[in-house]
Amino acid sequence: MSHIKYLLLVSRQGKARLMQWYTPFTPKQKTKIINDLTPLILARKPKMCNILEYSDHKVVYRRYASLYFICGITNDQDNELLTLEIIHRFVETMDTYFGNVCELDIIFHFDKAYDILNELIMCDGSMAESSKKEILNNVHAMDAIVSNDHLDRVLS
Amino acid sequence: MVASSLRSFIKDVRGAKTLADERSIITKQSAKIRTKLRDDHLSNEKKRVNIQKLLYLYILGEKTHFGQVESINLIASDNFVDKRLGYLATILLLDESQDLLTLLTNMLNNDLQHPNKYIVALALNTLGCLSSTELARDLYPDVENILQTSNDPYLLRKALQCNAKLIFKDRSLLEIFPLSIISSKLLANPIVCTHGVLLGVCKVLQAIFISLDDTLQKGSDKNDNEEDDSIEEDIQEDITIIKSISDLIPQLSTRLSSLNSKNLEPAYDVQGIQDPFLQCELIVTLKWFFKIGNHLNLDEITQYNNNFNDLLTQLATNTSSAKNPGNAILYEVTKSIFELKLTQPLRVLGINILANFLTPSKNSNTGNNVKYVGLNTLIKVVPEEPASVQRYRKFISQCLYDYDISIKFRALGLTFAIMNEQNITELTTELMKFLGQISKSHYSYVTSYIDMDDSKDLIVYTVDNLLKKFELYSNDDEKAKLDSLLTILKMSGTFIDLEKANDFLVALNNMDDLNYKINTFSKELTEILDPKNKANTLCGNACLDLVMIWCIGEYTDLIKLHSSTNKNIVNDNSIVKYLSDLNNKYRLSHDTRMIHYILTAALKLSSKIIDGQSMEKLRQIIVSHSKDSNLMLQTKSVQYELFFNQPAAMKKIFLQAMPKFERKNINVSAAQSHNTTGSKPENQNNDLLLDLLTDTVEKTSPNDTSKPFENKQHDIIADLLASTGNKSQNSSSTIKSSPVEVVTLPSGAVSIHDGDELQVYEKIIDISPGLAHLELYIKAKNNKISNIQPLCAVPKTQKLTLSQLRPSNDIDVGKVVRQTLKISGSGKLKLRIKLSFQKDDNQASESEQFDYKLDKTI
Repeated sequence: MSHIKYLLLVSRQGKARLMQWYTPFTPKQKTKIINDLTPLILARKPKMCNILEYSDHKVVYRRYASLYFICGITNDQDNELLTLEIIHRFVETMDTYFGNVCELDIIFHFDKAYDILNELIMCDGSMAESSKKEILNNVHAMDAIVSNDHLDRVLS
Repeated sequence: MVASSLRSFIKDVRGAKTLADERSIITKQSAKIRTKLRDDHLSNEKKRVNIQKLLYLYILGEKTHFGQVESINLIASDNFVDKRLGYLATILLLDESQDLLTLLTNMLNNDLQHPNKYIVALALNTLGCLSSTELARDLYPDVENILQTSNDPYLLRKALQCNAKLIFKDRSLLEIFPLSIISSKLLANPIVCTHGVLLGVCKVLQAIFISLDDTLQKGSDKNDNEEDDSIEEDIQEDITIIKSISDLIPQLSTRLSSLNSKNLEPAYDVQGIQDPFLQCELIVTLKWFFKIGNHLNLDEITQYNNNFNDLLTQLATNTSSAKNPGNAILYEVTKSIFELKLTQPLRVLGINILANFLTPSKNSNTGNNVKYVGLNTLIKVVPEEPASVQRYRKFISQCLYDYDISIKFRALGLTFAIMNEQNITELTTELMKFLGQISKSHYSYVTSYIDMDDSKDLIVYTVDNLLKKFELYSNDDEKAKLDSLLTILKMSGTFIDLEKANDFLVALNNMDDLNYKINTFSKELTEILDPKNKANTLCGNACLDLVMIWCIGEYTDLIKLHSSTNKNIVNDNSIVKYLSDLNNKYRLSHDTRMIHYILTAALKLSSKIIDGQSMEKLRQIIVSHSKDSNLMLQTKSVQYELFFNQPAAMKKIFLQAMPKFERKNINVSAAQSHNTTGSKPENQNNDLLLDLLTDTVEKTSPNDTSKPFENKQHDIIADLLASTGNKSQNSSSTIKSSPVEVVTLPSGAVSIHDGDELQVYEKIIDISPGLAHLELYIKAKNNKISNIQPLCAVPKTQKLTLSQLRPSNDIDVGKVVRQTLKISGSGKLKLRIKLSFQKDDNQASESEQFDYKLDKTI
């Protein structure tokens, strides 16, 4: 089972690039989590495992180039290994959407990254759709509606 | 234009040279957005740009609350692009606890019936993310309507996810949820039943089970309660619900089984495994069925028990463990096995899977994670299947040498968890190897890959637990044990705390095989004193030094007599010189504990050597601290010097080797003899000993000491050990020694409380301005009282110090315990006292409380 509490994207420089909270936290708690986790995870060596314990839950992270994808999961309930796969799925999907995704894509098109994330992971933090193709079809379909609307407006 | 404006903002922030620059750009933009959003005449296009900028601020961790209403307003627009951004902003900027959510109700209601499926989907997603209980109730019919009427897998999937969340939020919705829809509509129709829809079905079922589980928990918690009826009803309802969905078990099982065995669709393939996400969700969902079903013992579910066991076996054998997705499934299988406490063969299978996780995998990137979860789970399940875990000792030991500290720690924990009488020798050898490796890597900074602190933690943890285990299995081979202890000490003495050395001393002291012990120490001493090994005295291993100091004090006479001792190297002269060297070495350090030990060893040694010159040197060692700035050391030095001058025969009796040291009741025997009443008057020597005995102000009651010599000898030794350790140990040994001390009611004590079980007397010892010293005597009247705990309060202007109850926290019928109170401050003396206790070893605790006013002022 996978029930992610939050997903954070943090750059090698320790800057947040994306964040999504699936369990209600107060703003104070959110800041604390980000401030605590960022140095902790950036300091980890490549040969160390990708799971660590933090306050009352576990944190699973994975590094892709200059970006760290960080997920908070529930102790004893969630599957750490599967969470890694979910992160990977997210990266793969963005990769196909942007065409060889890089950190800059996510910085400048964070809204698109959120759209993909919302199709992939459902409101309570678990996997919503396991087919990459299906997700991309839906995101593209929505993008098409936007550009059609735009075209209509320009023509009228 | 739209994009460039957001773009330039992002570029500006990124381009800022300093943190202050960045701050000022952000604050300016933030203020600008705030004013712009307040403008009602702003075009939607401009609004979007501002909301997008606001979202960027959100990612930067800035305050964004001022944009919440505007985000919601954006949803009201007819344009898809506005709605899309509006919903995204609403999800991010708001959370479930806000009142603003009521503004959403109407818009969501409209959008849920929108002809465009993507708008419906956005609304469903938002409702799922932000469902307050009111929203859940108000909008549930719309969601159900979509489930009933729509045939689009995309919408069905979103509706199911949303529904799962709504049920989770409001349990009462469960009663109206059309459960039949799952099997009749969703699972039956292959076009509708995509993986996404199945995931949604799993989520709905899990939400149902979680809320059922809650009711069951409540039911078992409130067993004897009057309001049980409603819960009882709920449980009955639950049972009906579960019965009605139990026919889903075979359907879901078949799905899982075919997913696992076939691999057809490339869209769902993850490194050669067919949709591990769905497989895991199905396993978890089925696990819930059996968890609840077995708990309630429902035939409808338990009839499938064997099928489920077979299914798990099939998954375990068919899934490839080469890659991470496969391992994720295997891991989920083992979790189910142990959570449901399935049959023994399955448990063994589970252990085998987990043990396989520990073997080094070719793929080093994920290998570590698999090891981590393997060890983590094994630690949890060791108690259930210890024998099977035992078989994988080798794998576990290998993990000790892993790169990652958290894996090392877990491997250590697991090693200690499986340690027992049979394998202690083997595992100890393994751990010593580990200790050796890790302490070596500590020195070689070039190759050391772990933090200094980390490796220190590891060493301390290992030594701690090894000592505990040694104590637990004490009837083991003593020779091997002694050798191991010394090796551990040599390897890791520099890392562990001096306090731990006490544990070593106790272990060494308690060994029965005196001959072997002396032999070993003699060898050690020879090695250290050998003039060729000059470096030894200078090494930083304080713990080893401490043990050698102690053993010089204890065993020099025996070592000298032992056949294996080389008299040229080990003799009075060299031993005293060694001790004096250590004295010089440690007198400069701040740690006085070592000096305490050295002083005691010097004193003890004085009764064991004859050489006059060495004798004088020993005296010098003791005298060298008579002006020490540390008061404890100074006192000790002066007292020891006095004692040093006593006739040899008397000293010898006092300064014999330590008796066996019992952990739980340190020197009870000493205290016992201490207690026998006698009439012999105390001589001067005796007084001195008493002073030695009691470092604290306390004067021993006049009724002890009939056989001063024998008693005192024990006491001194106990005290030497205790007081040289540290203060806390000192006090603990006094406490432990006291159980047999008898407190009697002194004359002049006034009764201040007469309760059902306890009578309390008070005696004023001393009152001076600013300070009062009182004693309370508590007497058990009718029953044996145990675990008595006095709580006292004084007026705010005063401060109270409570000492330990003497002789113990238990009182026999008619007996008395003493409680000393020290009050400092000013004002009238007033006390409120609460005594909580247990009667007759009865578990229930009782208490008595009273106030007492003295006619005295401090």
